[in-house]
Amino acid sequence: MSLENISGAFAGRRVLITGGTGFIGGRLAERLVLEHGAEVRVLVRNLAAASRLVRFPVTVVRGDVTDESALATAASGCDLVFHCAYGTKGSQKLRAWVNREGTRRVLEAARKARASRVVNLSTLMVYGQTADGDLDETAPRRRFGNHYSDSKLDAEKIAFASGVPVAVLQPTAVYGPYGGVWTETVLRSLKAGRQILVDGGRGLGNAVYVDDLVSAMLLAAVRDEAVGEAFLISGEEPVTWREMFGRFARMLGDGPARTVDMTADEALAFWRRSQGERPRAVGEALRILRQDRQVRERIQSTREVLWLRETASAVLPESWQEAIKARMASGGRPASRAALELPIHPLPPPMIGFFRAKTRVRIDKAKRLLGYRPAFDFATGMDLTERWARWANLL
Amino acid sequence: MVTSAAMNDPQGAKLRLAVVGCGAVATIHHLPAISVSETVEAAVLVDADLGRARALADRFGVPEAATDYRAVADRVDAAVVALPNSLHAPVSIDLLRRGVPVLVEKPMAMDGREADAMIAAAAEGKAVLAVGLDFRFFDSSLFVRNLLRDGLLGEIRGFDLRQGVIPRWPFATDFLLKKETAGGGVLADFGVHVLDLLLWWMGEWTEVDYRDDAQGGLESDCEMTLGFRSGASGKVEISRTRNLRNTCVFEGERATLEVGVWDPDPEITLRIADREVALAGRARRPGGEGLDFTDVFVRQIDDFAAAIREGREPFVPGSEGRRSLDLIDACYAGRRPLELPWSVLPAPAGREIPS
Repeated sequence: MSLENISGAFAGRRVLITGGTGFIGGRLAERLVLEHGAEVRVLVRNLAAASRLVRFPVTVVRGDVTDESALATAASGCDLVFHCAYGTKGSQKLRAWVNREGTRRVLEAARKARASRVVNLSTLMVYGQTADGDLDETAPRRRFGNHYSDSKLDAEKIAFASGVPVAVLQPTAVYGPYGGVWTETVLRSLKAGRQILVDGGRGLGNAVYVDDLVSAMLLAAVRDEAVGEAFLISGEEPVTWREMFGRFARMLGDGPARTVDMTADEALAFWRRSQGERPRAVGEALRILRQDRQVRERIQSTREVLWLRETASAVLPESWQEAIKARMASGGRPASRAALELPIHPLPPPMIGFFRAKTRVRIDKAKRLLGYRPAFDFATGMDLTERWARWANLL
Repeated sequence: MVTSAAMNDPQGAKLRLAVVGCGAVATIHHLPAISVSETVEAAVLVDADLGRARALADRFGVPEAATDYRAVADRVDAAVVALPNSLHAPVSIDLLRRGVPVLVEKPMAMDGREADAMIAAAAEGKAVLAVGLDFRFFDSSLFVRNLLRDGLLGEIRGFDLRQGVIPRWPFATDFLLKKETAGGGVLADFGVHVLDLLLWWMGEWTEVDYRDDAQGGLESDCEMTLGFRSGASGKVEISRTRNLRNTCVFEGERATLEVGVWDPDPEITLRIADREVALAGRARRPGGEGLDFTDVFVRQIDDFAAAIREGREPFVPGSEGRRSLDLIDACYAGRRPLELPWSVLPAPAGREIPS
């Protein structure tokens, strides 16, 4: 059964979505209404976030996933539940609690409402730090040491133990229009500073366009084979991180100036230095240095600048050090556009490992059991994302 | 009914107000402004949720809370109506007919017909009807109006207004998310402010071509091409899903003017045609300072009180509030779908995206 064959499967069915004001849940609600004629209810914590959602004839129930009474109201009469909400506010501990307890309560509400299926949105991160080579659902789940992924791992277990027929989807980096972490945040980050490409960005980024993930969710809600199973969901092929960040950087123009190559050791040294010093110290000093010759000469003998030079020689690649020298000599006018326009974002050590890995996420199980077929290759998905980002005034 | 001592003693006691509807705009804007105004005071807060009305009454030192405006209408000098949009007309009409002056939140009604009924009720009850289009009280708004009226830019060839913010409004209820209580989406909510300014600045509109993204619900993004009797034509884009530049640019024969439209103290930039140096600054009255929203709401409520006392029209009377509603009605009546070119449905990999 492929996506074309499930048309009609949702018509007139009452469906509850948690997280429906968000990136993935929002697109899911849109497609369930427009493509499939479902009767969609959405549990909404923050009414101000619901503008995009109420473009469609959906029913908004005010409440959050830890509010059992709101959940009971929202789930009442619902045959199908998509649980996309996760903790996005407050401390990491609170968010983790929302992920665990919210999932437990959503599943409990679904059980009481006698829902025939719950699709629980999880994450690739339940596999922890992944190694080079193929990764499929038989890989051991591992705690990653952060609240988000560990609590999502617990949430999977809670969902499977609930007694309700559950399918779990584990998407990779989800991008697309209205995307957060892997779309808008990347663009904002590249606007503000340079992304380190670990080992030249040769590590593999497994990413999925939002509509492909939504298609997989729809299939997981319909296919009997999905019950009790978890599915990795990604695009057809991974891309390198260089391709990924390079594509976002090109949207902003001046692409090469927004990334910087480092070895893992250089990235780690840069991280350590950045942790030891006040934020922006490097950027501030460089700005002052660039102002005029007298200022430059006066402050070049200060302790801070001596430190800066030492730091630079310790952590910056030689080519950069040359660029700094050339720039200082020229009174701060860059020798080339690529040089020193933007500060570098330090990468925490777990992220260095993440960007270094050449993990290839396999989607064979989703293909086999769900009939999942990614419809958007990276180029197409990114072209659509760029169109949206331009419209959204992000470029 | 206007019976209090305040009416007979213009220099004396403050006008006693009922604030009818204690949601977000009352909490954030009206009550703080009323509490610092020297011409009015809140006598009673009215809300269907008595607990909410009481809590706000405690916070702002208001002596009374009630659930039904009809029970208090004859004990106040005037009312601020800050209810869900669908209740603006029925409640205002009832109050106005009883002779109670009304300052009604924007949009004043669900459509032009309701607005007409409100204007008629104000005439019938001989009561002031003011519309809470507070952006008109910005100094920048008056400055732009004067500049355009005096023809300092020369003939206006075009304009381009982009207004968009991702809201963080602390909704008390979900009325803005439902067609039956909100009347419309972003056009009726944000749009009424900027369209009112445009109409105030530019005069009578003659034609509009409107598109929005509603698909069975309320629009969150819309755009229009709008033509004026003066011959000027331009583009308006309004969003509650995107942060846009929030300015209006006027292209005049002699100069270009850009003014912020979502800020009580916006930057204004004037570029003289073919000259490289531009002027950027902020509009000020002599000795005045930059406004914040509390200042603006104080101006609005003080103007309302002065209109009642002096028996004059308020700065934004019902007939003015109606103008943007007429345009909004025309937009919805001629609505076409807004194209969202990234929003294609899943297709086989590599399929061409329509351009």
